[in-house]
Amino acid sequence: MENQESIIKIDHVSFKYKGSTEGLLSDVSLSFTKGETVLLCGASGCGKTTILRLINGLIPHYYSGDLTGNVIVAENNIRETELYKLAGVVGTVFQNPRSQFFSVDTDGEIVFGPENIGLSPKEIVKRKNLAVSEMKIEKLLNRSLFELSGGEKQKIACASVSALLPGIILLDEPSSNLDWNAISDLRDSIRRWKEEGKTIIISEHRLWYVKDLIDRVLYLSDGAVKKEWRGEEFRTLSESEVAELKLRPISLEEKYIDAFTDEKGQITSKQMPAREKPKRNGNLTQASDIGEKVILSEFCFSYDKKHSGRRLRKCIQNGITGECDGLQLCIPNLILPAGKVVGVIGRNGTGKSTFLRCVCGLEKRCPGKIEVDGKQYAGKERLKITYMVMQDVNHQLFTDSVKAEVMLSMEEDDEKRCDEILDRLGLLPFKDKHPMALSGGQKQRVAIASAMAAGAKILLFDEPTSGLDYAHMKQVGDMLKKLAKSGSTILVSTHDPELLALCCDEVIHIESGKLVG
Amino acid sequence: MHVALDPRTKLYMILVVSMVVLMTATTPFLWGVRIFMTLVPITLLFIEKKYASAIRFLIFYGVALVLTFFFLSEESSGIITAILIGYCGIVVQFMPSMITAWYCVRTTKIDEFMSAMQKLHIPNGIAISLAVVMRFFPTIKEEYGSIRDAMKMRGITFGSGNVLKMVEYRMIPLLFSCVNIGDELSAAAITRGLDGNVKRTSVVELKLHAADILLMLVFTAVLGVFVYCKYFR
Amino acid sequence: MNSNKLKAKDFITVGIFTAILIVVEFLCGMLGYIHPYIVASYVIMIPLVGAIPMMLFYTKVEKFGMITIMSVLIAILMFVLGMGYLGAPLIVCAGVVADLIAKSGKYKSFKKTIISYGVFCLWICANYFPVIVTADSYRKDLLDGGYSAEYCDDLFRAINEKTIAVLLILCFVFGCIGAVIGKKVVKKHFEKAGIV
Repeated sequence: MENQESIIKIDHVSFKYKGSTEGLLSDVSLSFTKGETVLLCGASGCGKTTILRLINGLIPHYYSGDLTGNVIVAENNIRETELYKLAGVVGTVFQNPRSQFFSVDTDGEIVFGPENIGLSPKEIVKRKNLAVSEMKIEKLLNRSLFELSGGEKQKIACASVSALLPGIILLDEPSSNLDWNAISDLRDSIRRWKEEGKTIIISEHRLWYVKDLIDRVLYLSDGAVKKEWRGEEFRTLSESEVAELKLRPISLEEKYIDAFTDEKGQITSKQMPAREKPKRNGNLTQASDIGEKVILSEFCFSYDKKHSGRRLRKCIQNGITGECDGLQLCIPNLILPAGKVVGVIGRNGTGKSTFLRCVCGLEKRCPGKIEVDGKQYAGKERLKITYMVMQDVNHQLFTDSVKAEVMLSMEEDDEKRCDEILDRLGLLPFKDKHPMALSGGQKQRVAIASAMAAGAKILLFDEPTSGLDYAHMKQVGDMLKKLAKSGSTILVSTHDPELLALCCDEVIHIESGKLVG
Repeated sequence: MHVALDPRTKLYMILVVSMVVLMTATTPFLWGVRIFMTLVPITLLFIEKKYASAIRFLIFYGVALVLTFFFLSEESSGIITAILIGYCGIVVQFMPSMITAWYCVRTTKIDEFMSAMQKLHIPNGIAISLAVVMRFFPTIKEEYGSIRDAMKMRGITFGSGNVLKMVEYRMIPLLFSCVNIGDELSAAAITRGLDGNVKRTSVVELKLHAADILLMLVFTAVLGVFVYCKYFR
Repeated sequence: MNSNKLKAKDFITVGIFTAILIVVEFLCGMLGYIHPYIVASYVIMIPLVGAIPMMLFYTKVEKFGMITIMSVLIAILMFVLGMGYLGAPLIVCAGVVADLIAKSGKYKSFKKTIISYGVFCLWICANYFPVIVTADSYRKDLLDGGYSAEYCDDLFRAINEKTIAVLLILCFVFGCIGAVIGKKVVKKHFEKAGIV
């Protein structure tokens, strides 16, 4: 290592969370020098987040457990330093943009930290203005945080950390809930911090967007640092080496981004490069030569209640010419191959989620009809043949055991069928466990199991792989393929190109509520 | 036009309004005062460009008033009238304070609120808790929206007719979500120095402007009129 | 780190659960204007439904003050939501006593938790205070305010100085019952899931 003074020193630290074996650390010694940018990578549960929590003091002051060893951050022994004293020293950007803001308005959120540490109002205003102009978020000022998109919230979170002027900035999987454009904004923020000479530590699964920024990479596994690379070395790792470590590709995604975006970073309708096209069933299937079909028609929708009736009708009339401005969704006609995985791509806020909500019948006013197996479903009937696995799957688990969850969806209890479904999804060992005690991926599968029990023919997935590591992402991909093989039609909205490459037979692209390409 | 009222003025408005709603109007004059008092926060909502809610309140309150005055009387009976009376009752009786509360909550930033609390010497802990309550109402709404969607997809909105299940299916996911969000929120707030022994500062400088003083006087007068008519006449 | 001083985390927890409780109260309250007897049945509904979040809340209480602060918050919010200030002393008293009872069980004893929650539920009766304290004028007010004589009679038959004692007792009893049910729900879900 370079012989510069170290700003963070982790000295023979072991840690175990109270009542959990996840994310423990065993005898970790690390040191970080001032001004370097370090990436922590490894599978989920490997201890990345734990290391960040040691540095920002949340361990041991917020999360309790058995801690041995010492952590020194900018000459503060963390164990003896009150958290508020670290506020101006270490700043942290967390994973979930929804839960990390305290205020209701953007301005209040940016000045929240400085106010807490008791700076003078004049100084706070100065810092706020600085942070705002640096992040170019003038447009977001004076807004309610609840109206902002995930990416915008994350920008405010960055600004709010920036305003405290910490020398050390930690980022805990900050890109999990962001789309490509938001990620590139995030990358700009990190770059700016780096130029200002801050010490930056990033824990992340998605490697492509940070790869050019990092000076050093630490690979963790089972609570210990197993490998270490310098930035240049890391960038030259081959695809197979990376895959062996169960990391997400370092550069694969960028290929996709180049394919999907033009210079301005806007996603365009260019098709995926030929060689990245889904392997089986090679070419994008032409609607006309599919055997089994799922036909979606008249999927138009506007959140504006006042005009929707008139506009929606108009939209249907003009359906073929596609003249329907002002609608959040306007897909007059779409033919999907049954029993296939169809990826739905597009930027955040361009209609992907609206499309899924309409297909599964959550938006009652949407006149869309679905034709499956020669039968047409509209209105509330759509709810019966479709099921959406939501991005936050926690919202859709209601009962106290996996078995009960599946039974809840059956009209008549059928234990044998329940076991069958659970077995197919590999959930049988967890039959009597509480769904909320399971891991994220298992919860997703429980939700799928309940959908299958209800007899859903079309399964919709809303960003099923956001925030997942490579292994889990691959699991999801394999599962989707398996589900399709067994006859379900799968629609998956995602901005995870690796998932697209892994399992999607066809990709549809939605922009401003319309199909493109 | 922009009127940025001091949070203390808003609190005072709430105080007066909630006192007045307990002293129901008995004469047309008092009704007039009461309606006037209700129109103030509605007007303020218009000024703050919250047209939708202002108009909604105006219509709601207006309809309830008309119904109460012209269609319902002591002699009315029947279930629908009873329900109607009930709802008109609540609207006419408590709407003023609900409108005022709505106006205050919607137009006060947590930041302002915290510094007003500080100025009024309310302990920091209570201020933090109250701020969290205010932040959490929209969160609960959001989370509940998703849960309701999920229930629709599962077809269990009515819990198969079992009231207990209806409550359970809503409450459990909501609590799980809220606890999670709360944990993450605490962590994020603490790393930004919320737990400090330092006296919190604020960029919001609270100052009573002419509008504040005017409103305070108006509301004091309203209160005075009611107290006078009620207890001294 | 064993100080008994409340920390930001505790205040945030209190805030979250207060928000949930107020939402519960508000939803139940909406039903109340259908018929006065439903108003009286607050003492059954709110303790029962509120028990689920509250029992979860009790598992997070470890220091004196959290329940007290919650009652102060409720008093403030009830005031802001137009329920007046007459009930505030009752709400805060119920909170302090509930807190003391729970404290005597070191916030662990389940029996003490039941009683504590029962006492805490007495705050619900604060909703009736305007009716009782200003009974005569309130009746007149209601009549003038357009309520039917029938509604008023029912209301005052259900809620007056005599029945308030019954209502308080009901609150307590259903609080205790709610606590037992709530605890079961907490066990069934949150303990099983390993959250608490």
